[in-house]
Amino acid sequence: MVTPLDIIKKKRAQAVARIISKGYLSTKRVYVGMATCEIAAGSKDVMDIFRQAVANGLTEVYLSQKGCAGRCNLEPTVEVVEEGKIPYKYGKVTPQKARDIIERHLKKGEVIREWLI
Amino acid sequence: MDKKITIYINSKEYKVSPNQTIMQAADHLGFHIPRLCYHPKLSIEGACRVCIVEVEGMRNFVASCAYPVSDGMKIHTNTQELRRARRDIVELLVDNHPMDCHTCERDGNCELQRLASSMGIRARHFVGQRKQYGRDLSGQAVIRDPDKCILCGRCVRMCSEIQQVHNLTQAHRGFDTVVMPAYNMPMAESVCTACGQCINVCPTAAFLEKNYTQELFEKLNDPNLIKVAQFAPSVRAAIGEAFGLEAGHNMEGQLVAALRKLGFNYVFDTQFSADLTIMEEATEFLERIQNKGKLPMITSCSSAWMKCMEQFYPDLIENISTCKSPMSMQSALAKTFFAQKIGVDPKKIFSVAAMCCTAKKYEAARPELDVEGMRATDIVVTTREIAWMIKSAGIDFLNIEPETQDHPIGMSSGAGVIFGTTGGVMEASIRTAYELYTGQTLVDIEVESIRGLKGIKEGKVVMDGQEIRVAVAHGLGNACKLLDVVRKDPGRYHFVEIMGCPGGCVGGGGQPYAGVNSIPLDEDALMKRAEALYSIDRAKTIRRSYDNPDIQKLYKEYLQRPGSPIAHKLLHTHYKQKFPQGIIPKEALK
Amino acid sequence: MGFQNTETKNSGNIHFGMRIERKATVPEVHYKITLCDGTSCIRKQSKQIHQILDQELRKRNLKEVVSVHLSGCLGMCAKGPILIINPGYVMYGNITEADIPEIVESHLVHDTPVARLMVEENHLYNRFFRIFGDVDFFGKQMRITLRNCGIIDPENIDDYLSVRGYEALAKVLTDMKPEQVVSEVKKSGLRGRGGAGFPTGMKWEFTAKQPAGEKYVICNADEGDPGAFMDRSAIEGDPHTVLEGMIIGGYAVGSSRGVVYIRAEYPLAIKRLEKAIAAAREHGFLGQNILGSNFSFDIEIRLGAGAFVCGEETALIHSIEGSRGMPRPRPPFPAVSGLFGRPTLINNVETWANIPVIILDGGEWFSGIGTQGSKGTKVFALAGKVRNTGLVEVPMGTTLREIVFDIGGGIPNGRKFKAVQTGGPSGGCLPEPYLDTPIDYESLAKAGSIMGSGGMIVIDEDSCMVNIARFFIEFTQSESCGKCAPCREGTRRMLEILTRITEGKGCPEDIDKLERLGAMIKKSSLCGLGQSAPNPILSTIKNFREEYEEHVNQKKCRAGVCAAMLSYTINDNCVGCGACKRACPVNAIDGTRKEKHHIDPNKCIKCGQCYSVCKFSAVAKA
Repeated sequence: MVTPLDIIKKKRAQAVARIISKGYLSTKRVYVGMATCEIAAGSKDVMDIFRQAVANGLTEVYLSQKGCAGRCNLEPTVEVVEEGKIPYKYGKVTPQKARDIIERHLKKGEVIREWLI
Repeated sequence: MDKKITIYINSKEYKVSPNQTIMQAADHLGFHIPRLCYHPKLSIEGACRVCIVEVEGMRNFVASCAYPVSDGMKIHTNTQELRRARRDIVELLVDNHPMDCHTCERDGNCELQRLASSMGIRARHFVGQRKQYGRDLSGQAVIRDPDKCILCGRCVRMCSEIQQVHNLTQAHRGFDTVVMPAYNMPMAESVCTACGQCINVCPTAAFLEKNYTQELFEKLNDPNLIKVAQFAPSVRAAIGEAFGLEAGHNMEGQLVAALRKLGFNYVFDTQFSADLTIMEEATEFLERIQNKGKLPMITSCSSAWMKCMEQFYPDLIENISTCKSPMSMQSALAKTFFAQKIGVDPKKIFSVAAMCCTAKKYEAARPELDVEGMRATDIVVTTREIAWMIKSAGIDFLNIEPETQDHPIGMSSGAGVIFGTTGGVMEASIRTAYELYTGQTLVDIEVESIRGLKGIKEGKVVMDGQEIRVAVAHGLGNACKLLDVVRKDPGRYHFVEIMGCPGGCVGGGGQPYAGVNSIPLDEDALMKRAEALYSIDRAKTIRRSYDNPDIQKLYKEYLQRPGSPIAHKLLHTHYKQKFPQGIIPKEALK
Repeated sequence: MGFQNTETKNSGNIHFGMRIERKATVPEVHYKITLCDGTSCIRKQSKQIHQILDQELRKRNLKEVVSVHLSGCLGMCAKGPILIINPGYVMYGNITEADIPEIVESHLVHDTPVARLMVEENHLYNRFFRIFGDVDFFGKQMRITLRNCGIIDPENIDDYLSVRGYEALAKVLTDMKPEQVVSEVKKSGLRGRGGAGFPTGMKWEFTAKQPAGEKYVICNADEGDPGAFMDRSAIEGDPHTVLEGMIIGGYAVGSSRGVVYIRAEYPLAIKRLEKAIAAAREHGFLGQNILGSNFSFDIEIRLGAGAFVCGEETALIHSIEGSRGMPRPRPPFPAVSGLFGRPTLINNVETWANIPVIILDGGEWFSGIGTQGSKGTKVFALAGKVRNTGLVEVPMGTTLREIVFDIGGGIPNGRKFKAVQTGGPSGGCLPEPYLDTPIDYESLAKAGSIMGSGGMIVIDEDSCMVNIARFFIEFTQSESCGKCAPCREGTRRMLEILTRITEGKGCPEDIDKLERLGAMIKKSSLCGLGQSAPNPILSTIKNFREEYEEHVNQKKCRAGVCAAMLSYTINDNCVGCGACKRACPVNAIDGTRKEKHHIDPNKCIKCGQCYSVCKFSAVAKA
């Protein structure tokens, strides 16, 4: 008999496959905070910049939104995760900073230390 | 029977039944916990917090009206802290109240006044801003004074739970909370049926009938007018309470005498036209039975019910008897038949009705009830108003020599009397219809199955082998339940009696306020008022409307026969769907 | 109970997706291995392990499809060396060189994690810290409720599924009876996170024990405290957790209908919730015969119109029923007679979000977190005069000091700490001596405040406590539903008295009146709103009585907040530049150029313009 647990495991496997098929295993994963508070602080514009960059051929980057992690006074936040490294979290990201993060961090691998939380 | 449990009140042990509230248990044991928003017929509100008690082990005080007793519960009803909290709560209510007691209609009859007095509020600590809304005088029958409202919510619950009219509700928040019709519409434009039950349950003067006493005194002093009075059956059964008597005293003779002393030239009786209503209604009913007319036929004497039907049950208009209410028949006759009889210009007749009802004020103003271009009933006063007038005029009501009503439209049968209580119209109709239909006299004329305070009552009579099924509802909420049955199953009943107020007219919106130790619409009091009427009926030799000699004379001399063209002109009316604010015509919805 | 046992039992079925439905676009890397390379792990031979791993991968020709990374300290030194395999977040601890071949063979070749080596603490919440290394802020936090917030994409059910989403539901449906679910929740010691702290398990038990028939499950997401956004963040960041909790609740108490009551002012949360419900239906987590079982459950959303009192459960139920949102006396409790008179299980968002974790990791595990009477974690919205404002989740028993000074980073601008106000508008203000109070329901109540739904406002010396009390009572009195007399009338009178005091018109009896009214309202009001409304006033009178007395007796506000009591004067620093004179809107300042100016106190409206424009600190306010 197929139990609910069997079903959920299959579903999870499928979900993971789908996520991976979207490029989850890319070198860098970029998360943009998109809760009401972050949006109020301007994260929508930041997200758009990243989306455009991906649309315009930025590869090796998995872009996703996320909820609020609680860092209210530093929003909008953008997180760049590389496997095995401590994630880099940028606070108070503006559209200009977002462009710089794309150019310097995502493309050239240069961490912009002064903007990190 | 449940097993008794042990509770302690003020450190004394008592055995009580479980499944009751602290307040109920305390009441039985002789502890009267002060209360305000509580009413036994309404849902538990728990709003006023006056009935709080201390229960050991509970962090906070609990509302005794809502909290159930449990085994071993230790209750304190009168600790110093509790007394102070209750006192402060009542003071807070008083602080937000106009405190114009001397000029208030409920002076001496106000629950807040009594409560403040029993709390010993001798100084005020928290005086501050007071609510100021102004009065809504738009209604023809019920006026609203939110400034005096203490937000106990009894009117809201009465209007929605018992009457199911849902006109009143709280609006806004916090200190700005106010009871109002939807969208703060004037009462006149709202779905208010003018039943006046909000007045009955209001502890203060936030709801009152529109008062016509001063106007009436003025007219009574006008020598050019012929002042003609009529009074409803249940007025005589209740007015004694306004003079300190127990419920259930029949004050008919005293009332007739007092009305004459007030300056009325003729004192008639609505019971006469109640007999007349029976003649017309029974005839109409038999016609419908014989000619396969619209059934069930539904009675039309309750004005609040008429308004309710026109806005909520317009689909039943054809089922409604076309008979006017007894009051309007009486007034119509006063301005035609009677004026002719005494040979005066009908315009000089000033027709006044003393009613147990507030909705009759609304009814009197309905233009379709005008007779030959004249308003039929010029002024309607409630039992309360007429009692006040009698007091104000210095008439010693309780010791006055009883008198009898005037001819030719003042004498009544026992059937006319019982109109004042739920089931009475039906019972009276059956007495007459039976005879009219079968040609035989109904021997057992007391129809027990439709007496009493059960919300919806059913009965049946067999007339010449045909079973006639009847149903009776009192209070608009019960009426709604019954009518929903009628809507679903129109063949279930032949004849339906509906009274807008709980208990019928004896529980009318214009009846005397509850006294010091009683509660509004107390079932005992309603039963006693009804019993007063039944005992009048029993004492009469003439107990069937068609046996009333004055009625027979009226038909012979003037109306020819029940249902004649002239009877139709004077005694029947018509109804039309109404669209008060909030009721949207079906076409408009599409 | 727990993940490991289940995994072991079903280990043959485990797939983390790598061999199924692989699409051509999927990169050839199948697994990422993260090896902790912190000092402690190095001491425990992590370097050697790395070497062995490299050899093993080479040996099996896996070098191409498995990438190995070294990470900094993962903060789990006691379990080191730590090895994490992604995707799947499988964490192995205490591994030795000898374990490596088995891990590679079983996990990487056969997709079967080695249950024996998986770290006991591989709880759902751990991942948070692997992703967030922001030690100052997150170091003392523990994320259970918000375990996925800020990590997964809330609008993608796949993200939730990949972090063991709906596994708790599947587990419950597979091998737990409803009574077992209830007993697991009871065992956890979880208490209602909405404010009152009623034991959740007991609530579930009461509802479950009601005779079968129509029952309802409600999620209270009517977060109304000013400045509180715990529930909003939880729903916006991880809506499925709440849904999963509710479905499990429905299963436990025998209900088939759930309602989320959420305030209409949370459009994004509503949108995500709607999306989540739709996705859950699509996957068969909601609807008929959930996951092939014979349990059916569905959830609908009802929007609240923004009344604070609708957070009170009976008022909320009235509101769902279409009536005016007013509380009613209890008993009967909603568990017996709730929505439409039926037994109703009503819990707050945060409470629901804990349920899947409790089911997966076990009530026993959960009850190990926190204090004697308060288990688990609590989310707070930290705000006010503190460096790091934000949403924090800490284990019960964390002290106020740790939150304010460690997580919050202390008071900015060199100002002094004065008080911390917990529990939203009806909480109390706790001064310095209470800073070491551990956060749990009882301790806070003993200190004169409440847990509430989790507001936490830090107050510094620039704030006037009387004014703060006035601010809170102004809110509660305007949000009172107006039903019961003590709350409706009493809170207004308290506001009037406080206004009087802050305007310099107070008299000494006013303080007594506030205490008298406060005590009465607290003990006599119908619902929690009224019963807690006087807290800010009573606690400030208790802890800052001297400030009240100064206001009343000396007409003085030491914080310089109450405008009516301020007076502005010009001192000898004045050089007669005339800037203040020009700035004064009411011409209250007089003086010749280059000479000391003077303020006419009768004309002065205390707007403070002169104080702001003076460049010589010559305007003094007192």
